[in-house]
Amino acid sequence: METLRDAFDFRDFSKPEKVGFVIFTLFLLVFPWLGAGSFVKAVVIQFLLFSLFGMGWNTIGGYGGQVELGKAQYVGIGAYTVALAMVWWKIPFWVSMPIGVLIALGYSFIIGYPLFRLKGHYFAIATICTSLVLQDIFINWKLVGAAKGIELPIHEHPDFLYMQFKSDTYYFYFIMALFYVAIFYMNWFRKSKLGYQLRMIKEDEEAAESLGIDARWCKIKAYSIASAFVAVGGGFLAVYNLYIDPYSVMDLDLSIKIALMAMLGGAGSMWGPIIGSAFLVPLDRFLGSWLGAHKGLIGVDFMIYSALIMIVSAYQPRGIWGIIEQFRKR
Amino acid sequence: MIVLDALLQGILMGLLFALVALGLTIIFGMMDIVNFAHGEFLMIGMYTAYWTSLLLHIDPLITLPASAIVGMVLGLASYYWLVKYLLRGPMIAQLFGTFGLMLFLRYLAQFLFGIDYRIVQKGLLVGKSLTVGPFIFDWTKLSAAILSLIAFLLVYLLLHRTKLGKALRATALNREAANYMGIKTERMNALAWMIGGGTVGIAGGLIVNFWYVYPTVGLLFVMIAFASVAMGGFGSIKGAFFAGILIGMIEMLFPVFGHVIGSDFLGPHFKFTLVYFAYFVIVVFRPQGLFGWKH
Amino acid sequence: MAFLEVNDLVKDFGGVVANNHVSFQIDQGEIIGLIGPNGAGKTTLFNCVVGYHKPDSGKVIFKEKEITGFKPFMTNREGIGRTFQIMKVTAGMTVLENVMVGAFCRTDDRNLAKVEAAAILGFLGLDSLRAYHLNELPIASQKKVGLARALATQPELLMLDEVASGLNPKETEEMVDLLKKIHRDKRITLFLIEHVMEVVMPISQRVIVLDGGEKIAEGLPKEIVKNERVIKAYLGEKYAKSL
Repeated sequence: METLRDAFDFRDFSKPEKVGFVIFTLFLLVFPWLGAGSFVKAVVIQFLLFSLFGMGWNTIGGYGGQVELGKAQYVGIGAYTVALAMVWWKIPFWVSMPIGVLIALGYSFIIGYPLFRLKGHYFAIATICTSLVLQDIFINWKLVGAAKGIELPIHEHPDFLYMQFKSDTYYFYFIMALFYVAIFYMNWFRKSKLGYQLRMIKEDEEAAESLGIDARWCKIKAYSIASAFVAVGGGFLAVYNLYIDPYSVMDLDLSIKIALMAMLGGAGSMWGPIIGSAFLVPLDRFLGSWLGAHKGLIGVDFMIYSALIMIVSAYQPRGIWGIIEQFRKR
Repeated sequence: MIVLDALLQGILMGLLFALVALGLTIIFGMMDIVNFAHGEFLMIGMYTAYWTSLLLHIDPLITLPASAIVGMVLGLASYYWLVKYLLRGPMIAQLFGTFGLMLFLRYLAQFLFGIDYRIVQKGLLVGKSLTVGPFIFDWTKLSAAILSLIAFLLVYLLLHRTKLGKALRATALNREAANYMGIKTERMNALAWMIGGGTVGIAGGLIVNFWYVYPTVGLLFVMIAFASVAMGGFGSIKGAFFAGILIGMIEMLFPVFGHVIGSDFLGPHFKFTLVYFAYFVIVVFRPQGLFGWKH
Repeated sequence: MAFLEVNDLVKDFGGVVANNHVSFQIDQGEIIGLIGPNGAGKTTLFNCVVGYHKPDSGKVIFKEKEITGFKPFMTNREGIGRTFQIMKVTAGMTVLENVMVGAFCRTDDRNLAKVEAAAILGFLGLDSLRAYHLNELPIASQKKVGLARALATQPELLMLDEVASGLNPKETEEMVDLLKKIHRDKRITLFLIEHVMEVVMPISQRVIVLDGGEKIAEGLPKEIVKNERVIKAYLGEKYAKSL
């Protein structure tokens, strides 16, 4: 009961935040009826998906302060579980997705246990390594389609059980629902015991241990929560794209993007990952489609994107939310 | 015999890996920063050698100074325009900062040169080989390995025999104390980035003689370099040298081993997976490095 | 039966013996001072008890339970709180939140933790600082927050690492009064590590002196100041200079 109340209690936010949140929610609710083209719809869906990823990452990376760069492997676990279950045994999405999350949870505990013996750079690089190893295995594993990946069978009629729809609108409302579940979860999380303990670990791990906090165990828990979030998004990705391969769902670039959006928006804050995703996803897509149309400008979008990363890292490591708070304090 | 051959080839490759890892470990030892763009420095060194040799019609091996200079300038520019500011922020900002640099350089290369795979086709040594008894060595690899060894020794001597090197190592050991003794630590940082960039530039110039160059080639090498540095102990130069060679040997031996026992899962595809895996295992169980040297 | 018992403890850092067969006992309700010149092994001993170091040999027994080699969070859960000589001064959490983290050690309920934390801040007279961040506070207040944080975990033994370092004489006096209050009202056993003898003497009921990793004396403060070995090892350097 207490938990539920905390999750829906937004009273400690400032007025502009509350108003913004309500307007934003209303906008999302009516968005499919605004007559946006399929490209814009796809961008908004991707924005919601990456917000979900980012909020997951935020538990371990933002609140816990651990530079985690291997989230793509959990996108992959979620996506492959859904895809393989559907192709091999015709298991509906609503069964396979939770299974994928459970597998991701189990795997994250196994990986997390040795991983969190490490700190700092050692940890960051090790997270990349674990993700690359899993990707390499999938690239070479013929049973799961190797580098070619897997195509999901397309159903002739829309099918709710298998999450196959003709219109993007259904996907939109589905990912939006997940997005709000994530928001309510995070709203609870930031006020929970684990949330406080992680923040303390980020501030000063030695002091946290002296206050009876098992830092390693806390980090493993947060890492698993993050992995579960990301695996949910991975499952969605499989039914949404109807095609997955190790490069699209397990790439290092994906891990980086997830962490980056959260950081750019403001790691360790409630709205940071959402802001970062709202900023970077459209930038990424629009620049990509606009510049991609001009021959000879391939890659310029990423150059702009990466220049932004460098500027933010150098001048405002607390991200866009950090800048906003700075202005508010004045 | 096949094993011995693989070992020798592995040592040649390993000498190059060691040179790639050298810059990374120097920079880490100096300021506890992991340079993710290190592989992209290498890629740019490779392109430099490729284009100078192609446009000036000279042998790619003579273009090494160009690669070295480009690498040094790149290192200096990165330090003064980016890293200097990153050092003030938290570690996550440092990681992402150099990560941004990595993406920037990668896509800059893609923008300038396209995504084609390029390789040096003409050259004094290209395609020639040296036969010693039953062993056949490509001259390109052999000369690259020898030059890499020379470069490594020169940097080692620079660090251990000159006044400048002493100042550099003093800064790495204790920044504050070095500062009190009148060493300009900021300049030492820049110097570390210059040496780091220069050595990896040279490595690029050497590797391009027998390896395709393309904009994303850096990732593979930087992961190998991370593994070498982790095995040798972060910040240890000697460690990076031996770990580089060890990884070269693993990389060459592994497919042979897989071939012998006839397993697909030990095929050549996985030779680098093994390197990543080795990194993971080593840092988890022996964080001080395989050899336990401390810088 | 002793409250805290350290038995024949040895800690060796690659050939440098920081603690050489140190033994002592503390009874419940005491205020004990651990003193010694720089490099005497005080901090190492402290860290071996709270679990930041694992002793090479010897035993640490707390409330009749062996806790040798326990991790810091485990010793805390057994009832040993500690403060730090140098606190990391960060901007991420307010004073209240800092203390709440301590309170979370004993409860899962956020509201309870908040009430608890507020009570402790009130007890230490830090009410006005609740909303500040650590980096906005002077050193003396930071140290008090460290104290509050540790108290929030409801320790039975509080180990204080150089509480007076960096404080001026007036602040030191305040701190000493605060410690007396904690001891009196909360009935917590205090174990102070101090480099400066002047701080530890007025409040300690008993003093242990370390030098070169070995225990050289133990006794009442007024005995310790007269002890030849202590004067030689500890005060000696000071007097030698002034002479």
